[in-house]
Amino acid sequence: MGADGAPSQSVPWRKVLWERQPFPDNYVDQRFLEELRRNEGIRQYRYWAVVKEAGFVGQQLSCVAVFITLWLYMEQGLLAPEVLLWTSLSCAMLGYGLHQALTSQAESGCETRTHLADLQSAALFLSFTFGFSPVLKTLTESVSTDTVYAMSAVMLLAHLVSFPYGKPSPPGSLSLNAALFASVCLASRLPGALHTFAMLTCALLVFALWPCLLQRLRENAPCQFTGVCVGVCVGGVGGLASQSLGGAVLFSLALVSVTLLCPLLLIWLQRHKDNIQGPWDEAEIHEDLSNFLH
Amino acid sequence: MGQRRKVGAVKAPSSQRDSADASGAHSRKHSICMVSDFFYPNMGGVESHIYQLSQCLIEKGHKVVIATHSYGRRTGIRYLTNGLKVYYLPLQVMYNQSTATTCFHSLPLLRCVFVREQITVVHAHSSFSAMAHDSLFHAKTMGLNTVFTDHSLFGFADVSSVLTNKLLTISLCDTNHIVCVSYTSKENTVLRAALNPEIVSVIPNAVDPTDFTPDPSQRQDDRITIVVISRLVYRKGIDLLGGIIPELCLKHPDLHFLIGGEGPKRLVLEEVREKYQLHDRVRLLGALEHKDVRGVLVQGHIFLNTSLTEAFCMAIVEGASCGLQVVSTRVGGIPEVLPEDLITLCEPTVRSLCDGLEKVIAKQRSASVPPPGSVHTRVRSLYTWRNVAERTEKVYDRVAGEEVLPLAKRFRRLKSHCGPVAGTIFAFVAILDFLFLLLLQWLVPDRAMDVAVDATGPGGLWRQKTGKRSETESKRATKQAAETKTQTQ
Repeated sequence: MGADGAPSQSVPWRKVLWERQPFPDNYVDQRFLEELRRNEGIRQYRYWAVVKEAGFVGQQLSCVAVFITLWLYMEQGLLAPEVLLWTSLSCAMLGYGLHQALTSQAESGCETRTHLADLQSAALFLSFTFGFSPVLKTLTESVSTDTVYAMSAVMLLAHLVSFPYGKPSPPGSLSLNAALFASVCLASRLPGALHTFAMLTCALLVFALWPCLLQRLRENAPCQFTGVCVGVCVGGVGGLASQSLGGAVLFSLALVSVTLLCPLLLIWLQRHKDNIQGPWDEAEIHEDLSNFLH
Repeated sequence: MGQRRKVGAVKAPSSQRDSADASGAHSRKHSICMVSDFFYPNMGGVESHIYQLSQCLIEKGHKVVIATHSYGRRTGIRYLTNGLKVYYLPLQVMYNQSTATTCFHSLPLLRCVFVREQITVVHAHSSFSAMAHDSLFHAKTMGLNTVFTDHSLFGFADVSSVLTNKLLTISLCDTNHIVCVSYTSKENTVLRAALNPEIVSVIPNAVDPTDFTPDPSQRQDDRITIVVISRLVYRKGIDLLGGIIPELCLKHPDLHFLIGGEGPKRLVLEEVREKYQLHDRVRLLGALEHKDVRGVLVQGHIFLNTSLTEAFCMAIVEGASCGLQVVSTRVGGIPEVLPEDLITLCEPTVRSLCDGLEKVIAKQRSASVPPPGSVHTRVRSLYTWRNVAERTEKVYDRVAGEEVLPLAKRFRRLKSHCGPVAGTIFAFVAILDFLFLLLLQWLVPDRAMDVAVDATGPGGLWRQKTGKRSETESKRATKQAAETKTQTQ
């Protein structure tokens, strides 16, 4: 049997198997692949929208930079622990108020958590950290300083990698744990027990509470959210610059590539996207079938 | 195992035999080796396809052997009906009955089979079978013609499909001809493996119509029974079935469901049955043997298929052949399988399937459906294995006239078709395979290998002994389960 060639064009080819058709088995009709659909329902990204989303990643990077700057200041004795502690507490109060204000705007009443409960957990955490800070201070005494630094660096990196940028409130358990692990490591290298306590309080503020507030801001006040992100980034770069100029330059390069170049790459690669769909795709069940069971 | 006999002993009787198959229109007879990981005792569509196709090709005078991996203690050579020889090769099974592949380790065994059986065409089945791809690779190295049959559909969206499709591209870029079971499957395979559509033939599956005959006396007239026969897995849309059952059972008090098959989604159906107290109306029969399927089908009025993806769907043809009204989802190749008046196609949603079923139930009540006998008569001639074998034979005839790419051309093909990275890697693997083959040929030259006893095909010993009876018996014999007929050499 030869290749294609319809014996008589008078009978149109049909895409059916049950009919014996006067065409060879390897016949390719004009209608071959006519049901093929390309890039259906694809999302078209706009550059500045992507930059805005990527700014959130830059912001989280800067948070880590700010935290490390604070730790460097503490270690060199340029920042008294009392000052950090009081600043942290006042920031926490301010942030709490803002959080409440933003929550009541959006969904008031759906959460039954009272202010008293919040106060209780805050008091519980503060007292326990304060009580245990001498223990935490001596926790890594038997470990060499290099190991502690390396471990902190790896953990902070793990925090950044595993951070749920899509929906950061509350932060994912892996990212939060990695960040706190790194903070304990770093805090244990500080000169006094009060230093350790202040550093851990600050770590909780930066890594646990700040993302929650930021998420509220993102939902309810997108314009201010962008401003805050830029502010944190500037703070991160400025803080690092006061300690190490080279570090600050590298860090700002990283920020630029994450927030400006990566989105450009995404948009550029989007052009090469070739997503094909057709009748061979597995059908998806869109209905919620659980109501038949529960 | 094995038949270490002198070549002369085989040749002697074959020269005396009266050539019964000389009258065939196709003068050229092929020696075909079917290779797949999936064969009896494993049960499924691919397994029965290979078995039935082989039987019909033997009937047409070709020589057919089957190579698969060993199943438990079933290793070595077995003979099935009509002298169909099956090699159960001792290869390690990795996952889901598919063997592990290293591209090389199966070459000594497969070369042994190809040389001893004097194979001219290697026909591999199923893209999920690593052994099939291995055999294609080695057959091309050995200079044999290759045919591949794809039995399934595959997506393009996730990482696993991207990888599998790349491997398929590599495997099929220098394969002589590809067979698909439906036009949708052809489109899918052409896209997945970046093939020229002209080397892809569409040859549908078949069912044995004498196995699936209607018997209206088995139906109970005081009720309407919906039969579902499928593995109870997600891809078969069992979740949809779980939504349909309560919806329709509440509306029609005389509606009964008969569900055959086993699988992880059985839990869903059991939960539905429990919650709506339908124990007397929804019967779960568990796994069915192939011979019991007809007995279940004839009890029903309506056959329901809820698959989410399907390349051909033999089940609906079996259902229609038993005279049932078929309701099915409109997915994959299903719309091509049955004419519009024999099937009610629905979208893969509970709503649409319920509407379709209601329409058919109403027709059933008003007795405006055609009688089972007439439906069977129409379906009977649509898909037969003889027709499949005839069309496959044409593919072999075409392939036999084509050249197998020599090594240099094969490299160029691999590089131009599979991209610079994968193409280069697999060109290198092909060189290694070729060197390995040279080593094997040096260790044991082809001429030093015994030619196996020819059981089927031109010069077959089986035919000679049972030649008189085989004509009448072969038809009946093909229907019997292969299992019962196995003998150990």
